[in-house]
Amino acid sequence: MSSRAEPLSAVSSRAGWWGEEWVRLTAFAYRNLIMARRNVFFLFELTFWPGVAMISHGLLTRFLDLTPPMTAFILVGTVALSAVQVCQLDVAYAVLFDIWSKSMKHQFLTPVRIHHLALGSWLVGVGRGVIVWALMALIGSQAFGFDFLGAGQLHVTMFLLGCFMTALVIGLLVCALVLLFGTRAETSAWAAVNFFVMLSGIYYPVSVLPGWAQALSAGIPLTYFLDGVRAGYGFPSAYAHPFAIGFALSLLYVILAHWALAAAVTRSRRTGLLLKVSE
Amino acid sequence: MLASPLAVEVRDLAKTFRSGWLRRRETEALRGANLRVERGAIFGLLGPNGAGKTTLLSILATLLLPDRGTATILGHDVVRDAFAIRRRLNMASGNASFVWSLRPAEVLSFYGRLYGLRGRALRVRVGELLERFELLPHLKTEYNELSTGLKQRLALAKALLNDPEVLFLDEPTLGLDPDVSIRIRGQIAELRRERGTTIILTTHYMREAEELCDRIAFIKGGRILAEGSADDLKRQIRIGDVISLRLEPAAPAGLAGLPGMMQLQARRDHVECTVDSSEKRLPEILRWLADHGVLVRDCQVHEPELEEVFVELAR
Repeated sequence: MSSRAEPLSAVSSRAGWWGEEWVRLTAFAYRNLIMARRNVFFLFELTFWPGVAMISHGLLTRFLDLTPPMTAFILVGTVALSAVQVCQLDVAYAVLFDIWSKSMKHQFLTPVRIHHLALGSWLVGVGRGVIVWALMALIGSQAFGFDFLGAGQLHVTMFLLGCFMTALVIGLLVCALVLLFGTRAETSAWAAVNFFVMLSGIYYPVSVLPGWAQALSAGIPLTYFLDGVRAGYGFPSAYAHPFAIGFALSLLYVILAHWALAAAVTRSRRTGLLLKVSE
Repeated sequence: MLASPLAVEVRDLAKTFRSGWLRRRETEALRGANLRVERGAIFGLLGPNGAGKTTLLSILATLLLPDRGTATILGHDVVRDAFAIRRRLNMASGNASFVWSLRPAEVLSFYGRLYGLRGRALRVRVGELLERFELLPHLKTEYNELSTGLKQRLALAKALLNDPEVLFLDEPTLGLDPDVSIRIRGQIAELRRERGTTIILTTHYMREAEELCDRIAFIKGGRILAEGSADDLKRQIRIGDVISLRLEPAAPAGLAGLPGMMQLQARRDHVECTVDSSEKRLPEILRWLADHGVLVRDCQVHEPELEEVFVELAR
C-alpha cells in the first residue's frame, strides 16, 4: 500500500483559522449567488414584489391625500417589509435549498458550523436587501417625490442594518423550524416575517395596537428601528434610544436564534430527521 | 502517542427511532452492534433491507446520534468529537442528491469550501476530481439533468474532496448499469490501493462485496450476526463445499464416516459429499477411494457463493 500523502484538510489548515472561517462562510454566499443568478424567480423576489408594494402603497398615499411626512411614515414600513422579507429568505435558503433537493446531510457531514451557514447566506441577503431598498427608493422618489435619505444617512443606514439583523433572526428561526418539523414547516419561511412586521407597527404607530400586542411589539427589534428612522422624518420617538435598544435586542435574539438552530440540528441528528429530509 | 491501528471501533451501539405524537411507534434499528475495522481495510456491511446498515453508517458519519454505546473513528468519539472528525471522513450514498440547479463543478466547489479549501487548492482539487470521474464533458449540465450514473460519480467525487482517511459508501453502485458499476468498483479499489483509505461500504451485491472487501459483517435486526473474510463466513455458517463424484463401482459404505464429511447424498449417477473444506478433504477422499479400489470417473467441486451465506443468515 502506498503511503498516505498529507491530507488536504491539513494543507488548508495552514491558511489559518480565519481563512478557513471566511471560506466556509462564503461557501453559502457562493451557493446563494449562483442560485440567484440562475433562477428567474429570484429576480422576481428582488424586483417584482418590492416594486408592486412600493407603487401600490404610494398610490394609496396619493388617494388618501397624505402629507409628505405621513407618506414617509407609510413607505418606510413598505421598505422595511420588503428588505426584511428578501434578506430573511436568503438566510432560510441555507436550509431550504437542501430541503428541496433532499441534500441536507451533505452539509452536516462537513466541518461546518451554524454561524457559517447563517452569516454566509445573510451576506447575500444583505446585498439583495440593499438592492431592494435602492429600487424602492428610486420608485419612491421618482413616482411619489419621497426622499428616503430625508431621515439622514446615519438614520437610514442604522434602519437598514436593523432590518437585516431582524431578518437574520427570523431566517435562523425558520431554519430551526424546518429542521424540527421537516418540510411541513416550510411555509413558515414565507409567513414568519409578516407576523413580526405586523406587530412592529409597520404602517401605523404601535400605540394603535391593543395592549397585549403592544407588549409583544416592545420585544421586537424592528419596532425600534421603525421608530428610530421615523424620528428622522420628524415623528416623535416613543423611546429615548430606539436604535440602541433595537440593536441590543437584535443581538440577544441572534444569539438565542443561533442556539435554537444548533439545538434543532442536534435534535434532528437524534430523531433521524436530518437523514429523512435527505432521502 | 501511537495511533490506533483501528480506523473504526464500535461498541454496543444501539439506536431506536421514535415516531408519531399520539400513537408512539418505536423501531429498533441497532441493538448493540460491535465492530472493529483496521486502517486501510475495505469492510463490507451486508444485510437485508431494514437490517440497520445505513443507521450504523450514519452514526459513524456523525449524521445520527446513538442512544447507547460508543463509536470511534481514528480514535475520536463520533459524538463528542464530531466536528474534528468530520475533516477526516466523508460519505457517498447510492441515492445521493445535491442542489438541483448546481452544475458538477459548482457542487464540488461548494462542498470544497465547506472543507476549508479555497483559491488555487480548491480549483486544482475540483479539476482533478472532475477529470478522475469523467465529469468534464458535463460541466454545463445542471445536477437534475445528469444521468443516474453521472450523479453517482459526482457523489463519489464529492466524497473525495477532503481526501478522507475513512470513507463510507452506502450502496455505491445502486441502480447503475453493469459497466458503470465495474468502473466505480475499480475506483473504490484504486482509492484504497493508492491512498490507503479505509472504506466501509454497504451493498446488496454479493459479488461486489466478495470482490472488494477484506472483511464482511452480516447485520440483521440491528445485530451483527457474523463477521470475517468471505471464506471465513462460508466456513462459519457451515454451508460446506460440495464435492460431486462419479464413481465406479458405487460409493462404498464408510465414505460418509470420513472426517469433515457433513452430508453424503447418493444421486442417480453420482454422489454429493458436503464437506467442511474441499481443499482439505478432497485429497483425503480421493486417497480413501483409491485405497478401497474405487475408480473416480469425474470430480467437481462447488464452493458456496456469498449469496448462499447471505440467504442462510438472512433466514
